[in-house]
This record gives sequence, structure tokens and C-alpha cells, in this order.
Amino acid sequence: MTLQIDDNLEQRDDGTVACRHCGTAVGIAAEPLRDARVRESDPQEAGPSVRAEPRHFTDRQVILRQTFCPRCLTLLQAEIVPADEPSFRTRNLARPS
Amino acid sequence: MPTIPVAGSEEFANGPVSPQETRRVVGDSLRLHDVDPAAVDAVDPLTYEVIRHRLTSITEEMGEALKRMSGSVVVTDCNDFDAAIMDEVGDVVQVGLYNTELAASLDMAASWTLRNRCRRPGIGPGDMFLCNDPWVGGGLHQNDVSLFAPLFVDGELFCWTGAVAHQVDLGGVSPGSWSVGATDVFWESLPTPPVKIVEGGQIRDDIEDVYLRRSRVPKLVALDLRAKIGANNVAHERLRALCQKYGAATVKAVMRRTMNDAETRLRAKLSELPDGSWTSVAHQDSARAGDRGIYKIVLTLTKAGDRLTFDFTGTDPQVDGLINCTLTGLRGGIMPVILTMLCGDIPWAPGGIYRCIDIISEPGTINNCTFPAGIGKASVASGWATTNVATECLAGLLDAHPEHRRRVMSVCCGTWDFALLAGVDQRGGGFVTMLCDSMAGGLGARSDSDGVDTGGLACIPMGRVADVEMNEFAFPMLYLWRREEADSGGPGRFRGGVGASSCFIPYDSPLGGVHLVVSAPGKALPLAAGTSGGLPAGTQYDVLVRGSSIRGALAQGWIPSSLEAVGGDRELVAAHHETDLGPDDVYYTHWQGGGGYGDPLLRDPAAVAADVRAHKVSRRGAEEVYGVEFDEHGHIAGEATERRRAALRRRRAGLEMEGASS
Repeated sequence: MTLQIDDNLEQRDDGTVACRHCGTAVGIAAEPLRDARVRESDPQEAGPSVRAEPRHFTDRQVILRQTFCPRCLTLLQAEIVPADEPSFRTRNLARPS
Repeated sequence: MPTIPVAGSEEFANGPVSPQETRRVVGDSLRLHDVDPAAVDAVDPLTYEVIRHRLTSITEEMGEALKRMSGSVVVTDCNDFDAAIMDEVGDVVQVGLYNTELAASLDMAASWTLRNRCRRPGIGPGDMFLCNDPWVGGGLHQNDVSLFAPLFVDGELFCWTGAVAHQVDLGGVSPGSWSVGATDVFWESLPTPPVKIVEGGQIRDDIEDVYLRRSRVPKLVALDLRAKIGANNVAHERLRALCQKYGAATVKAVMRRTMNDAETRLRAKLSELPDGSWTSVAHQDSARAGDRGIYKIVLTLTKAGDRLTFDFTGTDPQVDGLINCTLTGLRGGIMPVILTMLCGDIPWAPGGIYRCIDIISEPGTINNCTFPAGIGKASVASGWATTNVATECLAGLLDAHPEHRRRVMSVCCGTWDFALLAGVDQRGGGFVTMLCDSMAGGLGARSDSDGVDTGGLACIPMGRVADVEMNEFAFPMLYLWRREEADSGGPGRFRGGVGASSCFIPYDSPLGGVHLVVSAPGKALPLAAGTSGGLPAGTQYDVLVRGSSIRGALAQGWIPSSLEAVGGDRELVAAHHETDLGPDDVYYTHWQGGGGYGDPLLRDPAAVAADVRAHKVSRRGAEEVYGVEFDEHGHIAGEATERRRAALRRRRAGLEMEGASS
């Protein structure tokens, strides 16, 4: 049985995590975004909602980290975080027993 | 300076205690009312529902009593308070709909009081205990003063009622007790462990003097004290009447069953949800004035069977600043999210709900700090960030269920935009007030709809923003505007609700200006994360304009509607700042919206166009983030939109532009 993880991802019987829009595998249950495409860029690329540059307020570099389906390029995850931190955002769906 | 351990403070390092342990410690010093489990099962369904709803309405009446007696705009107009009914050992049977984070740890305060005050000075009819020590329980920071009262029926302690409200000033270095330079709690308002301030129905003058002497506005705080006494008195009158009508045993049986019902129904709901774990992070920039650090709270939420475990391993150590919170703040961060996202159809009885969750947290971290860490901003700093990260993880859990995903909501307004004014008001009296304009934060996007614009805050279901006219009447200020801000809602297939801004000047104070304290993070990075590919909401943005031409504009009968129009020199305001506003100064503060849901390029172009028409999204935002093109008449240009979206899809992923229009 395929489990829906969220708006963009689903987990298949074999543990593969795939894009719900194009069916491309993007990871496995333990690492759902393992094979997804990640791009890090300036936070202001998120649009006009980022009102001022982070350097006015912090000495740490801040980045926009976006994770995409490698095939259809749907945005799977987005975060604006310190550049020196790994992405903490993940999920691990257990198979129904 | 590093935090130095304080010998003896461990007495106040409280945590949840089982009813059995509380009863054991109280022993024979106090008769605690109890009811047989068989009596709980024996209550008929009709009686159960009638009494249960009566208990709910009593907490609402407590809130009404508080509002009618208080003189603080923070309470009367903004609802920054809450009320609760607890059983005889402090377990919360019913929490009011106001600021639920304030009432999330009343159980800890009542239990501590039972265990530590039952013999000296004793607990009797007509007594009430005041507490603003967040290490003990009750509110999240010192401004949240709780007043809880035992109700005795037939010589036994039958239950407790409690009221908590934000007091606008209880001392400390800075007005409003928001000491933005604080490195530890000794800069801040004095935490007061539970003290019997009402004895046998009479206020103890000596204790009240100790309490009020610290405040810059003691008359206002005294009035709020009486408002809370009134709220407890109203509740006791109603509960006595309920016991007379149905019998104390029946009322207590309903209290027990309400908590049992909340537990059973939440467990049933959790059982329907998939097992798994969801990890996320919430940041805060700046721990105090001059600090440029960024701090994190990491949460791994594990759902297994009918239980939730909130594991905060990986969270940063407590810091020299005012942003830490105690375990009370951590619980206050979690409970509002559980209530609103999981318990919409379940009694709001934290006493039962807490039985379904485990919390793993290391003492000495920013959302479980030890004494004497600074906590002056706990409620809207690490407490709030805990809410943010809990919201994100719970949204992930719900999103994985075909039915319950309708309850998903992204993070709401990522922080509290704190702006405090103090000085001399237009009537010549001293004043201090926290502006509560950011009660109109944007709510997070849902999995099937946009977030509510300026819809409020997740933790305060009945939070309100005071009318502009009320603030102008009460305080020496004049608004140039308060309005929703385009692009402040997190972009997504469903857009986060937009936040807003206020712009005002000091006005009519005999001093010519006012003192301003700012504590508003989210400037280095947005704090309301998106869900499922949705982008975060906008950043907090505060600007101070010095030497403006505002007085001239007003003299000409013109009210400027943009920062450009007021002239002067603009200063970006740091997350923590304290200064004076002069007669020619203008203050602009722009708080956050809610996070988005889903990829913005999947949003219906017609919805984007509607947002542009309604000024929720700018043309620039529509084009750069949503990839929607418009023709010269402002209509959607279909083919151009398809081309722009295709190109944007590749460009944002860092791919070549070639072939993008195919």
C-alpha cells in the first residue's frame, strides 16, 4: 500500500519515497529526500517577503535551502537557516504492521 | 558572564508530579476530596454533558470577570490571559479559550503549592496563592502572574481555580520588565514562588505591598490582582452552586471523566494516525541587545501507537539573555498546538491530554533552562519557538493521513512583535504598556486552503488586537496606519495568512516623547516555516525614523501613508533595542504572517491574481515567486505564465535556462 507523506511525497511498499507529481524516486523511508536536488542560495531569492538582508542582524551566513524533485523540479522542502547547520527537517514514516 | 548555579534554587525546579505523589506529600495535613472510580463510571451521559459544559462556561465567565475588572488594555482588549479549573491535586480539567500557553502549567503551580504550603502557612477556605515563578509553574515569564484558589466543600479541598494574566510591568531594569540587556534573571522582575496573598477571603496588605512595590504601575497591577480575585470568586460561586445541585461527588466524577474522556479520545485519534517520526528546527535570532547570534530548538516528534513523544535532544544550551524559558514554557509551547491541531473535537482538559505525551528535554537548554537564566521574554521567545517547531512536526504527522490532513496548519506568525511604550501619558500620569498589535498575526496555510490573513495567533484562540482608537485614547500615541502587508504570508500552493504593520508617533505626552523597548526577532531569518514545500512567511521588519517631517504634514492636514513620505533618517531596528522616541520620530513595526503550504508554482494563477487585487501579494511577488504574468490590463497572461513558470522552475533549482520555454 502506498502511503502519502505530504503534498508532494509518497512512500511505496518497497520503502521507496517518490514524487507524487511525476513518480520519480527521491529517497528511501529512512532518508526520504536522499536523492532529491538541493540548492542553496541567497535568502532574498525567496521573494519580497524577506525584507532585509540577514547581515544587518547576524554575523552567521543565512541561506535559502530548497529541495526539489530531480525530474519535475517540484519544490519539496524550503527553509531559511544558518548555512553552517545541516537540515534538521526530516520524517520517517513507519510501515503499518 | 556565565550563569552561576544558585544553591537552594533546586527547591523551585519543579516538574509534573503524579496525583499519588502529591497526595502522599500532603498526607494528613489537608483533607483532599476524592471520588471512587466506580462513581466516575456511574455518571449518566446526560448529567455528564450538562456538568461538563457548565465547567466550560465557568472558565468563560472567569475570563469575562477578569476583563470587566481589569484596567489594562492588554487584558481588556487583547485577551492576554486565561483561566482554568483544576481538580484537588491540580490536574487541569478545563482550560479557557484565551491564552492557552498561560494555563498549560497551572497544574505544576497548584501541585507545588500543595506539597510546599500545606503545612506552613497552610491552605484553607478563602485563600488564594500568587505565583510568577516560571520554575515553579503557572505563567511562562514573570509578567504572567497566576492567582490560584482552593475551593473547599464540606471541609475538604474540592478543586482549584486559577487565573493568569500578563501584567504590564513588574519591575526589572527596563520598563515592561522586558530587560533587553539582561544576561540573567537578576536583571529582570523578581520571580515570586507561590505566596498566600489572600487569606480567608481578605487580601494580605503586607504581601500585596511586597508584590506591588516592584512595579512602575502598581495601581494598574493592583486592579488586575483584584480582577483575578474576582475571576476566582465567580468560579467558586458557580462551582458551589453546581455542587449543591448535583452533589460534590457527581461534579468531581464529571471532572475525572472529562480528563479520562480527553485522554481516551486523543489516544483513539493518535491510533488512527501513522506511526513515525518528524524532526524539525525553530530558530531565534538575538538573545539580548547587542547579540547577533542565532539559536535553535530541535524537536523530534515520535508517534507510536497512541502516544506522542516530544524529544528536544539537540536543542542549544541556555544563553546569556532573556530568551530562555523553563519547563513551564516548554509545556506552554506544546499544549496550545495539541489543543488546536488535535483536540478540536476533544475536551480541552490538559490533565487528561498530558497522559498521552512524553517529553524528553535536557535541563540547561534554552527551552528548559535552569536558574538563574534570563527568562523575561520566555513566553514569546523559546516558548513561542517551541510552539513553532511543535506545529511543524504535528503538521507533518497529520499530513500523512488522508482524513486528518485537513487539520494541517503551517506555523503561524513566527514571533511576537514586542513594542513597549512607557512615559507620561496625555493625562499627566505615568504609563507602561505592551502594544498588542501583533495579535493580528497571519495564520499558517492549511492543506486545502489559505491561512487566515491577520487571523491571530496559534496559542491564543481568542486573542484580539485593540482598536487603534483605544490605544490612542489610552496612551500618548497617534497612528499613521495599521494595515495588512503584501507578501508577508508564506508563499505556497496555499498561501500563509498575511501579517501586518503599524506606524505611529508619540503624541500629546507632556514630555514630548515616549520610551520604546523593542524585542522582536525574526529579522535575520523568518520564523514561520512553510510545510510540504511551502515557503516561510516574511521576516520581521522594524524601522525607526528620526527627524521626520511628520509634524508639518499633520499641520497641513495630511497623514502620510508610507515611510518615504515621512522624510527623516531611517534606521533598521535590531531584534532587541531600547531608546526614546522624540516628537519628530516615527516608529514602523511589521510583524509576520503564516507559513505557506505546497509549492508556490502549483498555486492556481487565478488565486494569485486575486491576491494581487486584494494587495495580499505584490506584482513583484506574483511574478518572482508564483511565476504569474499579467497583461497591460492586469489580467493573467496564460501562455506567458506557463513560460515564466517553466523557466522559474528550472532557475530556482539552479538549472540552465535553456529549453525552459518548451
